[in-house]
Amino acid sequence: MSDEFSGGPENNALSELLDVNMPADAEAVAAVVDSISETLARLEVPEQKRFEVALAVQEALANAVVHGCGNDRSKQIRCRLKSDPQGRIVIIVTDPGPGFSPELQPDPKGNANLYADHGRGVYLIRQLMDEVRFERSGSEIMMWKY
Amino acid sequence: MGQPVDGLRQTIQEAVSAGDTRIVLNLAEVPMIDSSGIGLLVRFMASTKQLGGNIKLVQPNKYAIQTLRLVGVLNLFEIFDDDDAAVDSFA
Repeated sequence: MSDEFSGGPENNALSELLDVNMPADAEAVAAVVDSISETLARLEVPEQKRFEVALAVQEALANAVVHGCGNDRSKQIRCRLKSDPQGRIVIIVTDPGPGFSPELQPDPKGNANLYADHGRGVYLIRQLMDEVRFERSGSEIMMWKY
Repeated sequence: MGQPVDGLRQTIQEAVSAGDTRIVLNLAEVPMIDSSGIGLLVRFMASTKQLGGNIKLVQPNKYAIQTLRLVGVLNLFEIFDDDDAAVDSFA
């Protein structure tokens, strides 16, 4: 796994605020989400923005656990939180899976999918964050909040 | 995801299996609903409706409402300010 953070608008002077590894276990997600929320609270990020980031991270980690790792808790997921001098933040979630094609995700608001019990995670992330990019064939998601 | 959603799924499933298809969910203490929670709600709403019931929501916070709206399912649910009003609506 490369440590290079290669994407995002104006990728300069990013400060690393958090870098954690977690097992691919659904029960481990909440602690990572809480850590990110607490870090943003210390930075006095407004509550509305903290909520949007927290839910996006929850969805990204859930996808990594279920789809990236097949719920195999022997596998590890990496989650990083960084910020730039303008206060914009980026969260990067990386899993060891083969990735996926985000453009193939169905529209969850389509009539055929309204009552589906899955398929809303990536859509929700895109709605909550200001910029979302997939790298490593989809096994890494970079989510920006301005 | 995880235990909260699994626990709710089991509770609703047990209620439906017992014939209780008219369900009121008080969300006042729920800080956040993720996509797995939404999937569970809409799935059980559809199945309870097929059995003549429904799932009605009480006091979802502003973030839950925002999330339901974002994924286009907010208008599928009846939402109430208190439990009694939700229960009475089944009458």
